Amino acid sequence: MSQPTRLRIAGGTVYDPANGVEGVVHDVCIEGDRIVAELPASAPRLDARGMVVMPGGVDIHAHVAGSSVNHARRLLPEEHAADPAPAPRLADGPPGRSGTGGTVPSTFATGYRYAGLGYTTAMEAAVAPLAARHAHAELDDTPIIDAGFFVLLGNDDYLLRQIAAGETVRARDYAAWLLGVTRAYAIKVVNPGGVAVWKGGGGGADGGRNVRGLDDAVGSSAVTPRKILETLAGAANALALPHPVHIHCNNLGQPGNAATTLESMRTLAGQRAHFTHLQFHSYGGALGKAWASAAREVIEYVNAHAEVSVDVGQVMFGPATTVTADGPVEQLLYASSGRKWVNIDIELESGCGIVPYAYRERAAVAALQWAVGLELFLLANDPWRVVLSTDHPNGGTFLSYPELIRLLMDRAYRDERLKGVNQKLLAGNALLDGLSREYTLGEIAIITRAGPARLLGLTGKGHLGPGADADVTIYANDADRAKMFATPRYVIKAGTLVVEDGQLRRAPTGRRLTVRPDYDAAVTKDLKRFFDEYACVGFENYGAEPVA
Amino acid sequence: MTDRSVANVTCLGCGCACDDITVVVKQDSIAEARNACALGAAWFGDGTVPAETRVNGRPASLEQALTEAARLLGGAKRPLVYLAADISCETQREGVAIADRLHAATDSLAATATTAVLAAQRRGRAGATLGEIRQHADLVVFWAVDPSTRYPRYGSRYVVEPRGVAAPQGRNSRTLIAVDVGESRGPADADGRVAVAPTDEVDGLEMMRAAVQGRAGGADARFRTVVELARRMTEARYVAIVADGEPGLVPADPARAEALITLAQALNGPTRCALSTLRGGGNRSGADAVLTWQTGFPFAVDFARGHPSYHPQAGAAALLGAGEVDAALVIGTPATLPVPVAAGLAGIRSVAIGPRASAATFQPAVAVDTGVAGIHEGGTAFRMDDVPLPLRPSLEGGGARAALVTVRALRDRLGA
Repeated sequence: MSQPTRLRIAGGTVYDPANGVEGVVHDVCIEGDRIVAELPASAPRLDARGMVVMPGGVDIHAHVAGSSVNHARRLLPEEHAADPAPAPRLADGPPGRSGTGGTVPSTFATGYRYAGLGYTTAMEAAVAPLAARHAHAELDDTPIIDAGFFVLLGNDDYLLRQIAAGETVRARDYAAWLLGVTRAYAIKVVNPGGVAVWKGGGGGADGGRNVRGLDDAVGSSAVTPRKILETLAGAANALALPHPVHIHCNNLGQPGNAATTLESMRTLAGQRAHFTHLQFHSYGGALGKAWASAAREVIEYVNAHAEVSVDVGQVMFGPATTVTADGPVEQLLYASSGRKWVNIDIELESGCGIVPYAYRERAAVAALQWAVGLELFLLANDPWRVVLSTDHPNGGTFLSYPELIRLLMDRAYRDERLKGVNQKLLAGNALLDGLSREYTLGEIAIITRAGPARLLGLTGKGHLGPGADADVTIYANDADRAKMFATPRYVIKAGTLVVEDGQLRRAPTGRRLTVRPDYDAAVTKDLKRFFDEYACVGFENYGAEPVA
Repeated sequence: MTDRSVANVTCLGCGCACDDITVVVKQDSIAEARNACALGAAWFGDGTVPAETRVNGRPASLEQALTEAARLLGGAKRPLVYLAADISCETQREGVAIADRLHAATDSLAATATTAVLAAQRRGRAGATLGEIRQHADLVVFWAVDPSTRYPRYGSRYVVEPRGVAAPQGRNSRTLIAVDVGESRGPADADGRVAVAPTDEVDGLEMMRAAVQGRAGGADARFRTVVELARRMTEARYVAIVADGEPGLVPADPARAEALITLAQALNGPTRCALSTLRGGGNRSGADAVLTWQTGFPFAVDFARGHPSYHPQAGAAALLGAGEVDAALVIGTPATLPVPVAAGLAGIRSVAIGPRASAATFQPAVAVDTGVAGIHEGGTAFRMDDVPLPLRPSLEGGGARAALVTVRALRDRLGA
């Protein structure tokens, strides 16, 4: 079959929760790159009888392209050698490209593997503005998927200066300018203030390593993690960005950090905000003492506050690579693991830390993390605000999503797996009380496509109504949900049949997802002065726009 | 074209990739490259490049050259694609696509820093972008290198002179220490000097790390001064260690490269530290980045099995030396090739596309002269610290053939 300009997906069982369709047998019609209400009977048909039809998957948070991801790739030659990815044999268009996999695949392999999984949109979750041009170049080499990225703010010197000076409006103009010049999609904040403190150097009572609480001073006493969160959440909402501020809270991975997470949520009560990889921020206990789950408290807050959305950041057993702008966290992980470690401080802006890692069933903390993630999923009331993620490749790779779906849909399987993990820290964990919930296919369609698309403000994604992007995934129904979701029979991206009978057959270029909010241009004069004073990349050369 | 000046131009004369050059163009040639150092001025030159297209030494049309190049490369049993200097990342991406299609061995000028790259693959990095060292460093230790020779503006533009947010007095906010290892000496104007015998260097670095980590150091008098330096480093707020990643007076030592990394990592226990590894120019760091994102490996990538495999000890020089390669595509300035690579190419049929390709000493069967990325065409290049920068051509449209368009045309011929 050549690239269809028209296609009727006939007789499949459709899950389109955004349009209230749950398991209804009906045809889905495609014309060009859009879903249409109807087609003439003569239009080409794809027989989907007995199969499950969903919108293409949408990954709201993954580390797939850019400077820190490439540092991680460079660090993992053994993984790449162990997972070669020959070029796919494509039916038409330019020839396919080879690559390598592992936890941090090469760019072409990333695009092909997402598509092979039925995902057609992905958001790179953390790009330093200085390296935005690099991230776009990698996304240019990441085929099929529509992609965008979140640009890092919240530890950058210019923003912190505006907060110190009480210049909230200028801070907002700056954020808008930065989103535009870097061609980003949303604002990301990682460990607000903590990375700036880490980069500031040694000395001081606490060694100046990080912030601990929301009211710690970051340089000036007027600048605190709380003020940073308020400023950036306020900016994102005032600019009416399609996705609210995307927050990686302080104290990631520390016992007792649920208190910080809840305090961060309360600080922004009433405002839209997305809290990412919540699993890594939902621990009880105390620093230097025992770990415990605090998933119930955290998810109960989320359940009760409609303005809050989250993705889970599930930990999956097996190899992972931790890669984050949260430099100080990785230094601690390196100190405890003793493995390879990359730290890169990024001028005036952000950090970057990388440690290869493995989560093992027999390790007490890994077992706790695994259980906390599942608790969050299973105790969540509103699937529209609790998105499936592994914080790829931090908690596991995106290739583990099908296994995660099985854990959510199949209680017997989950209980069996639970028996095999270290129980030391699981006392009081809701999973042990026999959480009986099993996600339905409709709920899986929400947490893997309809929900993230809505939270990202991607109105053409995550649903199959007329006018939607023609991104469709068709699965052979299988009681083994891991198998079913790992190998879709057909994947259609923008109207092009990319996976056919389980084989990748076409690799069109994906679209770039960007925003360009308005701002008062006066901010650029002040920025130019700041660049002239401190930066060592020219103001005119900054960002990722084509140069004249 | 009229006389004009182009501001904010990025120079690829060395890995500093200074982006503050103003190029003054008079009568279609470069009259001046303001702000450029001597290396940079030489790199820009007057912007004149040959514009020849040759097949077997005779002038040919581009059509003839591409046809012959495709025939030669397409018929090779064991082709090599080499990314030399002075091409943009966009052109490098096309070159890797060709290598993938041809199942070729691939290498680049980034391989000159093999020892440093491999050490970082074994241990990781404790690093920073150059501008962050500028903001924070109060103690800069030059380990057996004086950047002013091969990276002339490294000190004035990034790490030593300029004011930073936590270094308000610039140079006067910092202490500079030169570590002289045999003949490899640090800057003459350092505030302090430590001499290390070459045979003691790796042990000295290990002793320093032990001291930083509070492990009992030996009382060996040979290491007294370096252990004292290590103590000073732990007391600083933010330490930069500067070392050269490019080949120097003595062969690169893997143990030394690794010891520098682990010392820098260890210093991040008691304080903060970044190791700044100096890299050469011509956008070789771009070749490292592009190969890494497209294949998972930074250099010495072989597509022979239909997918990338990594042979860091068997890169272009080794394959050519062993007589394995029967045809090669060199993209970039041939004069920048490492000597063993150029020598190996002399014995086989090759295609050269790049600045001054027609002057290549290895006498390529097909030579297509192009302009220089950053002078005659735009695109993206990477600074030595992996910061991407745009290239602003000052002589675009001046008659030099664009490398990107030419390599893309060859890619199309090869069905890649």
